[in-house]
Amino acid sequence: MSDTLSDWHTVTVRVPFASARHATIAKQVIEVDRELQPHAVKRLLVVEDDVLVATFTTLTVRLARLTLNAFLENVELVVRTIGQFGAEEERR
Amino acid sequence: MPGRLRKVSPLKNPDRPYYALGLEGSANKLGAGVIKHDVDGSSTVLSNIRHTHMTPPGEGFLPRDTAQHHRAWGLKVIEDAMKQADVSMHDIDCICYTKGPGMGAPLVSVALVARTLALLYNKPLVGVNHCIGHIEMGRVVTGAQNPVVLYVSGGNSQVIAYSKQQYRIFGETLDIAVGNCLDRFARVINLSNDPFPGYNIEQEAKKGKRLLPLPYTTKGMDMSLSGILTAAEAYTNDKRYRADAEPDLGEDIITPADLCFSLQETVFAMLVEITERAMAHIGSKEVLIVGGVGSNERLQQMMGIMAEERGGRVFATDERFCIDNGIMIAQAGLLSFRMGYTTPITKSTCTQRFRTDEVYVAWRA
Repeated sequence: MSDTLSDWHTVTVRVPFASARHATIAKQVIEVDRELQPHAVKRLLVVEDDVLVATFTTLTVRLARLTLNAFLENVELVVRTIGQFGAEEERR
Repeated sequence: MPGRLRKVSPLKNPDRPYYALGLEGSANKLGAGVIKHDVDGSSTVLSNIRHTHMTPPGEGFLPRDTAQHHRAWGLKVIEDAMKQADVSMHDIDCICYTKGPGMGAPLVSVALVARTLALLYNKPLVGVNHCIGHIEMGRVVTGAQNPVVLYVSGGNSQVIAYSKQQYRIFGETLDIAVGNCLDRFARVINLSNDPFPGYNIEQEAKKGKRLLPLPYTTKGMDMSLSGILTAAEAYTNDKRYRADAEPDLGEDIITPADLCFSLQETVFAMLVEITERAMAHIGSKEVLIVGGVGSNERLQQMMGIMAEERGGRVFATDERFCIDNGIMIAQAGLLSFRMGYTTPITKSTCTQRFRTDEVYVAWRA
């Protein structure tokens, strides 16, 4: 039985953005939804300069795969949205 | 006897035109639309773009694949909606999105885009109840004053009436929705899902000749549909069932067309009954049918016969507004926004269960 967090699995993803503002937007958008299993998955989202750093600590390797997969799908959508609509935004 | 006081609407005409972008994705239909509220109090649809996640015959749509579809098409649909409306995102006053009810992953896929746009352009977000969206769009398109609303779709089946800032649920399905019943039966007889299964059931039903006995399950103001679905499916295992035959009253056979016909007649008669109960209860003369199943012309016809017998009439919209779309979210969202309601980004979650009567209808008297 792994009771202590040190026995859990950790994955860190660093996603660079064009600016600190965009990285912060991504963080604010993604952190709204709770993790589906908050007791087995701990999420930490931090912005360092213009990079979004996501650290996931999960109880099982399977959960690490699922959580990371979902996170990457979501961040990819946010990145694409900023990419498509970000240019028009700056034109004002 | 004191005269009836005409209630004054709390929603005043705007001092300038307002624009809202609405995003919808609670089921397999992905929609985006831009609406304009003008200074004379009118609502104009500037664009209404929709893309549907279609599955092959015999298959329904699953949350994971639907969310993937919404993620793939979301930006294109929004881009097209803005282009057709010929407005810039900077001119939009609020970004409205479906908060619920619906399927979890697809809802969140759309919410992510809504939040990103709101933060990029510094626009307020408005979370909208999907059912309220249907009702408000039906009201503005048909001009119905205070109807009993029959909201029937693949996900919801409710009889609703408005009173004192709340859309109250008079009756509803106790298990599955009407559209769900029809869609799942369409899968059993392998009908195409293009444009949507209910449409193909309606066309098949027109060819049906035999009315087969099916359970008739209204429960007071409510109704139950899962038993009817089971009974209809059981007929396909009957020894008289012929999957490829044309309906023929001369031979003792059951064809898919006969089953579609029997299913529609039974289920729609139940809907007419519970709607009539609500009309009698509140003394209303108008019926507004909204939701995907509302585009069925046989249902509109049957409801019309009942309404006329009561000296009333039926209001219905066409498939542009009946079937899930983004413009209805924009309409309901902009009405809330103009009454001062916004959703802070930290609270812009989605929820699979969101009752129609949970919303405070501030924009009506």
